Amino acid sequence: MQEYSSQAAYDRGEAVCVIGAGASGLIAVKNLRENGFEVDCYERDTVLGGLWNPQNQHSPLYPNTHLVTSRSQTEIPDFPMPDDWPDYPSATQMLTYLTSYAKHFGLSEHIWYGSEIAAVEPVEGSRFEVIVKPAAGNAARRLRYAAVIIATGHHWAPNLPSYPGQDQYRGTVLHSSQLKDASRLRGKHVLVVGGGNSGVDLACEAAVNAAGCVHSVRRDTWHLPKYLGGEPADYALNRLGARPKFLRRFLTDRLLNGPARLAARMGIEVPGRGPGGEEPVRNGRYLEHVGDGSIRRRGEVARFDGYDVAFADGTEMRPDLVVFATGYRPQITCVAAPLLGVEGTGGTPQLMARMFSPKSQTLAVAGLVEPGVGVLPIVHWQTHAIARWLQVRKSDPERAKNFRDQVQSETTGQADGPGAASPRHRLAVDAEEYLASLARIIDTLEQEPAK
Amino acid sequence: MSLAAWVRRARTPAPAPVAREVAFLEPADLFDLEIKDDPEASPVLCCTGDPVGAAAFNALWLKRIAASGRYAAAVSVRGQGGTPAAAGGVEARAHDVVQAAVAVPRQTVLIGHREGASWAALAAGRYPAAGLVLVSPRQFPKQPPKPVGEPPVLLVVSESEAQSKEAQAVTDAYGVAPLTFAGSPDDVFKGAAAEGLLDAVLSWLAPKQ
Repeated sequence: MQEYSSQAAYDRGEAVCVIGAGASGLIAVKNLRENGFEVDCYERDTVLGGLWNPQNQHSPLYPNTHLVTSRSQTEIPDFPMPDDWPDYPSATQMLTYLTSYAKHFGLSEHIWYGSEIAAVEPVEGSRFEVIVKPAAGNAARRLRYAAVIIATGHHWAPNLPSYPGQDQYRGTVLHSSQLKDASRLRGKHVLVVGGGNSGVDLACEAAVNAAGCVHSVRRDTWHLPKYLGGEPADYALNRLGARPKFLRRFLTDRLLNGPARLAARMGIEVPGRGPGGEEPVRNGRYLEHVGDGSIRRRGEVARFDGYDVAFADGTEMRPDLVVFATGYRPQITCVAAPLLGVEGTGGTPQLMARMFSPKSQTLAVAGLVEPGVGVLPIVHWQTHAIARWLQVRKSDPERAKNFRDQVQSETTGQADGPGAASPRHRLAVDAEEYLASLARIIDTLEQEPAK
Repeated sequence: MSLAAWVRRARTPAPAPVAREVAFLEPADLFDLEIKDDPEASPVLCCTGDPVGAAAFNALWLKRIAASGRYAAAVSVRGQGGTPAAAGGVEARAHDVVQAAVAVPRQTVLIGHREGASWAALAAGRYPAAGLVLVSPRQFPKQPPKPVGEPPVLLVVSESEAQSKEAQAVTDAYGVAPLTFAGSPDDVFKGAAAEGLLDAVLSWLAPKQ
């Protein structure tokens, strides 16, 4: 960073730097403010709301994006969504919600828009020097903070597969984030690649709009409708957690029996998966569209060939439009990889308790998990723990030591995630276990230290 | 709110939604040039155990609070005033207060009178209120939740109930000494005693938020 070094760093004292003003960033700012910290939040775009804001130029929203987890399981614990909203709010409502959250707690005055973080460098005394690069002009600023919280999310760098012959393919290829308008599907023969939530949602979108829809999935995933037993599915399953252990298994099986048989009828066999396993695909309409033939399922794409696409099972088709709903790669570029425990290039961060940097006490990442339930409450408790930790770190050595031991033991206990087989599930955690681990960490910070 | 409390709440059925009656008054609504809207001051949300609900605050409270430069609001919980009755006990009424609080434009002070004080105290366990004012609490929960975000708490009781067990319970729970006012605890909505009480509450709020 030779080009900036002539400039002396401006010391912000005990202030904390939050990177990103999406859902996670806003929650981090609010919880830090509540614990008495001064906060500067930097957002590279000119709007708040992160991925939920269609005006964000990198927004990953696709037509008709809705939450896949229900309102009661997704709302921020201390700021509930209006109770007259639907069970599964849309992306627009989500943005309204986040905007009112920011307004309610007066967060906007702490956000610096159009400011990308060029680098975060550790300096003496476990502090950080942050280089802020404004979108307009070239006068980068150098500031010093007591701590840095990265809340940039993991839905920004599209993960594009490469199949043989794809370079020479003559048709149109789009990533799900580039398909902003469902009218692009109208009257076309569409091939949707990818069996995650976005792939399944887009296949349903194509089923009603396009002339024909073929859905290519590499492997079968667990399908869950949005409602089970007359209740939002995630709520119905979560509620079973309050039951005694011996009943839980039985009740869960009874609840999931119907959807599992329907999936099996549609030729989706998911061996050994179930609750507690990998994150399900949550869509109630998909299997019905498969059932009425408006979505035809195929295996993996083998190669592209001129205008044609050949599948692994030997069949071919000629799509007008190929949509890659192949997700995103977690990518944090502003911090040197070793600080986050990334090994090699393109590796996934290996964080302590999935939020703390293994190298520095004052660097943390919020929201880099896929818990299979609403992520906002998880981020709320994560940032609550981070804010408390930053408070305790200096003032209370005994609790700080307990905390470090606890985080260490939670980290060694953490498995590779239930579905580590697929790169998509590298960030996956079991929500119940992770929340219990978060609760233990918060307890070491808040309860009287055990003698 | 602790994580455990949230996990428990996420597993219990949410109360049936009702269309709540909310009365509000902004400083600008008073058409008085002398009154300046203070953007730094927290809004105030009131609720009472009186069956009239939000309308009880129309006579004096909302105007007086708005005149101090604050956004003033009052909510009728289920079964009160213009809000239809619906199933649910104390928790559902606390839910109504929280829902009204998040609809206020900024982080709000909660003022609860009579049974309203217990709803406000429960609501403050789920929503980070800017302040919590309990006026003559009645049927107060034995172990109220720890308020989120550690807001300042004020307890106001009439002289006759200064020694009551409710006042004692609140004092124990929050570690605050009661402030007393003259007059009947049910008659705080108009009259000289009510004005004195309200001024005391507003001057307590002023330096803090």
